[in-house]
Amino acid sequence: MAEHVILFTGPMGAGKTTSIQSLSEIEVVRTEANNSERHIVDKETTTVALDYGEILVDADEKVRLYGIPGQQRFNFMWSILKKRAKGMILLVNSDAPDPIGEMTFFLDEFRELYDRGGVVIGITRADVVAGPSLDDFAKALERTNPGLLIPVFTVDPRDRDQMVNVLLALIANIEMRAMFGMITEAETA
Amino acid sequence: MDGTHVAPEPAPQPGRFPVSVGWTQAAIAISSVMVLKTPMNLKMNIEMHGPLLIDFEHHAFSWSTPLEHFPVDAVHTGLETIAGGPDAPPLFELPGKDLDGLLWQIGLNSFDGKPAFWLSSGERYRLTRWPNLTQHSHDMSQVKMIAVLGNAYVSTEELARYTGVALDEAQRLVNALSLMRILSRSAEAPAAVVVQETAAAKRQSLFGRLRKRLGRSDG
Repeated sequence: MAEHVILFTGPMGAGKTTSIQSLSEIEVVRTEANNSERHIVDKETTTVALDYGEILVDADEKVRLYGIPGQQRFNFMWSILKKRAKGMILLVNSDAPDPIGEMTFFLDEFRELYDRGGVVIGITRADVVAGPSLDDFAKALERTNPGLLIPVFTVDPRDRDQMVNVLLALIANIEMRAMFGMITEAETA
Repeated sequence: MDGTHVAPEPAPQPGRFPVSVGWTQAAIAISSVMVLKTPMNLKMNIEMHGPLLIDFEHHAFSWSTPLEHFPVDAVHTGLETIAGGPDAPPLFELPGKDLDGLLWQIGLNSFDGKPAFWLSSGERYRLTRWPNLTQHSHDMSQVKMIAVLGNAYVSTEELARYTGVALDEAQRLVNALSLMRILSRSAEAPAAVVVQETAAAKRQSLFGRLRKRLGRSDG
């Protein structure tokens, strides 16, 4: 069976679990536990292990959706999963203390995924708080990673239509990057 | 002649805005104001849809018609430039709506699929940033084209060929992205090197299969 792994990364409270729930065709396998960092995010539970969902493309092909913990103490999981992934949806909540810093941090951590696949950045809760604008995120990207043209969208993780748009934009971008030789097919499989 | 009396068309009054149908005149006006980079705003009167107000400084607009009901064949009956700047009263209550959504619609629906007047032949284009696709009504062929423009300098003809889209549709997208000022233009950029044939890429495309699976088989 052909499999394509998509990672959902980002800080606590960015909406990774909800995004996978919006997209997955199976009931999402969730593992949560008490939040030991309530000083950062006021949320009773938070993801501390994998969230898993999937989309069956046809009988022989599926897209596996993995949400990985946002806390740095779980970064041993990051290195395992990023080796298998084809692309990444990086979610950053606009009401985080330093959303641009979070974006830069996670992008640095997962930079190899951009180089051999693709990344889309989703800014969540942009309609709730007046955080940085998309232009601010784009300028920060240009400053920290010159030459990288990564799609940045505002997104509501609860909205399936929006999440489908984000996922398809990621896949389209990966395939066009392969077409122009920016990544190789063997590396994207 | 059947003898029926037909009243002559009233002569146009000098100095009045020429009534126009569609969005080409509006696109030209917007582009002209944006190029000037002076504190100037626009008010467009649109039959049946009320005034459309644009505040360029705040990259915002105000209009009673939601963009989901964008009137492709709108009848424009007036256009007014209004001075902006720090001392001018706000044109409408800010923050208003993000101007990008309006420019996307106007760009797609102007020039009848021909090149916008500010574009030149022989140019290639590349995105400087992606449009916020979750906020703009779009189809999947536009996503493919945007992904091409995000990764290579291409002409409109190349864009249509690589994505299997009609030339006028590719041109509409280039017009829109250009009006949004998120395209870089170059007359010198060489043709991009394609390492994977488009036919082979199409056969292997997860994008194609997934969009059908997710009910997005348009485009």
